[in-house]
Amino acid sequence: MADLTRRRFIGRAGSLALAGSLLSGCGIEGTIAAARKDRPKTLNVHHPKVPIGNWTFSNWPLYIDKSVLRSFDRIYGGHVNYIEEINDNDDFYGKVRQQLQDNRPIGRDIVVLTDYMAARWVRDNYVTPFDKSNMPNFVENLVSNLRSIPYDPKRNFTAPWQSGAVGLGYDPKLTGRELHSVDDLFDPRFKGRVTMLSEPYDSACTVLLGMGIDPTHATIDQILQAIDKIAKANDAGQFRRFTGNDYTTDLTKGNVWVALAYSGDLVQLQSDNPNLRFSYPQEGAMLFTDNMLIPEHAAHVYAAETMINYVYEPEVAAKIALYVNYLSPVDGVRAIVERSDPKLANNPLVFPSDAIRKRLYPYPALSDADEATMKQAMANLTGA
Amino acid sequence: MRISLNTRRRLLPWLFLGPGLLWLLIFFLYPLLNQASVSLMSGDPEHGYTLTWAFHTYWDAISTYKAQFGRSILYAAIATALCLIIAFPLAYFTAYKAGRFKGLILLLIILPFFMSYVLRTVAWQLILADNGWVVARLRDVGVLGANGRLLATSTAVIAGITYNFLPFMALPLYVSLEKIDRRYIEAATDLYASRATAFRKITVPLALPGVFAGSLLTFTPACGDFVNAALLGTSRQFMIGNVIQSKFLNILDYPTAAALSFTLMIFILIGIFVYARLLGTRNLTEAAF
Amino acid sequence: MAVAEATSVGAPAAPDGPRPAGRGRVRVWLLGVWSALALLYLFIPVFIVVLFSFNDNKGRFNFTWQGFTFKHWQHPFADPDLAKALTTSLEIALIATAIATALGTFMAMALVRYRFRGRAAVDFFVFMPLSSPEVVLGAALLALFLTLNINTGFVTIVIAHVMFCISYVVVTVKARLEGMDRHIEEAAMDLGATEWVTFRKVTLPMIAPGVAAAAMLAGALSIDDYVITSFNAGQTQTFPLYIFGATRQGVPPEVNVLATLLLLAVLALMGVNLLVQRALARRDRARTGVAAS
Repeated sequence: MADLTRRRFIGRAGSLALAGSLLSGCGIEGTIAAARKDRPKTLNVHHPKVPIGNWTFSNWPLYIDKSVLRSFDRIYGGHVNYIEEINDNDDFYGKVRQQLQDNRPIGRDIVVLTDYMAARWVRDNYVTPFDKSNMPNFVENLVSNLRSIPYDPKRNFTAPWQSGAVGLGYDPKLTGRELHSVDDLFDPRFKGRVTMLSEPYDSACTVLLGMGIDPTHATIDQILQAIDKIAKANDAGQFRRFTGNDYTTDLTKGNVWVALAYSGDLVQLQSDNPNLRFSYPQEGAMLFTDNMLIPEHAAHVYAAETMINYVYEPEVAAKIALYVNYLSPVDGVRAIVERSDPKLANNPLVFPSDAIRKRLYPYPALSDADEATMKQAMANLTGA
Repeated sequence: MRISLNTRRRLLPWLFLGPGLLWLLIFFLYPLLNQASVSLMSGDPEHGYTLTWAFHTYWDAISTYKAQFGRSILYAAIATALCLIIAFPLAYFTAYKAGRFKGLILLLIILPFFMSYVLRTVAWQLILADNGWVVARLRDVGVLGANGRLLATSTAVIAGITYNFLPFMALPLYVSLEKIDRRYIEAATDLYASRATAFRKITVPLALPGVFAGSLLTFTPACGDFVNAALLGTSRQFMIGNVIQSKFLNILDYPTAAALSFTLMIFILIGIFVYARLLGTRNLTEAAF
Repeated sequence: MAVAEATSVGAPAAPDGPRPAGRGRVRVWLLGVWSALALLYLFIPVFIVVLFSFNDNKGRFNFTWQGFTFKHWQHPFADPDLAKALTTSLEIALIATAIATALGTFMAMALVRYRFRGRAAVDFFVFMPLSSPEVVLGAALLALFLTLNINTGFVTIVIAHVMFCISYVVVTVKARLEGMDRHIEEAAMDLGATEWVTFRKVTLPMIAPGVAAAAMLAGALSIDDYVITSFNAGQTQTFPLYIFGATRQGVPPEVNVLATLLLLAVLALMGVNLLVQRALARRDRARTGVAAS
């Protein structure tokens, strides 16, 4: 009797599945189609001045000094609804992707996304172009090495929020020496005591620097070569594991001696473990930037642009820099910070010298297909 | 209005089932079917995906990731067994010997899980650090080699899974043990059975629904777990949950992710079916009386 | 706690046999030690989290003990967004637990007590949400909400949480119901009680431990869910979402403080529940003049 019921269930379930799939057989639209649709004009963009109103600013947690928001409200009126909802680029994209592809507003006026995700949004036309006349501070004060970037050569869609460098985090007491080169990650003396970042834009591109190749203009084949090199080393047991930003516990506790790490983390970790050092590799370091974007169909574009303009005021940028301790994209911040916190102003992890800045390389701009290939190659080697 | 007893009797179960079933039909079945159709699509992020009845996706997915599948089932099974071993005496003690403190102990079992798993896992990472107190003692005693470690090993991943699912085993076990009429055991011992025999022949069989329920609630979600492997393991420990996570969020290969999910689901359902047979609870819903 | 009352109405709890002597006492003692160790094991990371809420950390990370301080405890709610995330999580958990427990308990009753066509099918179906990876489930649910043009936010989070909690409730309550003695209920009905009264005064107290356990499981699941919530939260922030995001910059000790307070709140809630149950039991005993065992 129970068997009969089960068989019937399978039969019924089968027909249900058929029906269901016919319903959703429309498929999922591709980004090429979406991208071709309405390429936003970037010339003669005009966003007239309107009351600020209630607008929404989505950001990562702990990424702003909240007094900046309060002073913005006071000076410009309206009210900013600041939501710290971005935990992860991919997770956030997963959350809003469908609305973006359906050409619907996502209810946010500024989002902050890391380079490769910002590149995707620009590529797929999910963004509103800037009316630069509303953002004179941005135009003037953006640091020179970020004025252009392959996926947004004229900075019409993205405004850097904070940057960070990917370099060598290590404990010289454990490694026995100072580290200065990408090759140090592959030093067999550190076998099993190294962590690598699982994000290929960070890890593969750093390895490219070690191989003497310019990562910002690298081809997918070169990137795959770098991933291959990482894979071989991994098979030999060089890397303990591949991490997101959770290498921090391992490094602090001495589980690993060397980590491919983010500069901002080391600034903080040094108080947990004063032995830790951060070194910009001599071959160069990847510079990742979190960028402000105005999503397509945003309701309060003028408010967003006013905020971008506001945070590019050196005084405001300095306040944010003091709180966040990452690389500020605004010129003139260092001088202001020096007045209140000279130690921070002289910290090369937060205010690198010009010589170092010349060695910082932004992420390459890859097509969707190339990016998928790269990510798949990396996923294969990290076991996912 | 007099409804005939017969009609009432036939309608009543559906009345009880109705709201919950409806909820699941709308908010689970539709998404499930949606994903079923996605699993049969093909394409790529640039050109979009269309339904092509690509059944080969399933085959490709299983053969490419059979290591992760195997690992997931293995880790989940070991963790479930460990949970059973740890939780059974605990549940037994709570049900029979705890007296007034039953409720308190139950609460204490589940209380840690009201605290964020992120915080708790980081705490474990700190406790089990290579140069920490715990690992050092284990090295002294010889359990770990001179360069041995606990973190970034399969031991850590399994331990993490066990830890995270312990209350899911303990509570159903307790629930089932607690309802066993003590007088059966008394009768058995009156009839000269030793306490061990009474336990084996009375308590254990009557506790089987709890064992089954606990195993279900532990093994099933454990198979799809990805957090423990990601934080406590290395790429050599990655489970199918990690693959699905990566395919879905990172690589945006929705058909493969969906296919993997369904395959996992089917594996689990078959496994549970076999388990139910083994345990002798003939039908998942058989009432004993 | 409902448990205490249940054992006085449900399975006749004969006293635990004659006072165990000799080997028996050792056995009980061993069981006690094992249980204490198991509980300790469960609480070790909790102690660490609580301890580190007093850490005087200089940087943003909270990994190394740098000294004792109360400063994080002085203004734990200073960040209004963090406090709001916590209260939102609590509200969601309470509502979702209530709904899921109710729906799930009734489903369990139907599945165990009644034979009807399609019972095995429903059984399997109820079990399926447990076996589906959260990422796929969460994204597919989001797709549904978008198709139906429902704005994601508090309500959708509750809907999602109820959805995955029902299965846990059903399985747990079923473990209680299976093999339960129907005779008492039949006796009640023989004595003239309607089905509803029987349910309220006989069945419900008998299954109460199962329902309570299921509710606790559901609550724990809801308050700490990340993946499904992250897809369906819209712009609503919950506590786990905040913590996950904060790990990038370093989780501030204030989070440890709030997590500890949450635990204490749950403890207090349960304590109140226990006291209420005891008072009700006392009142019932006084009323009926029946001595509880």
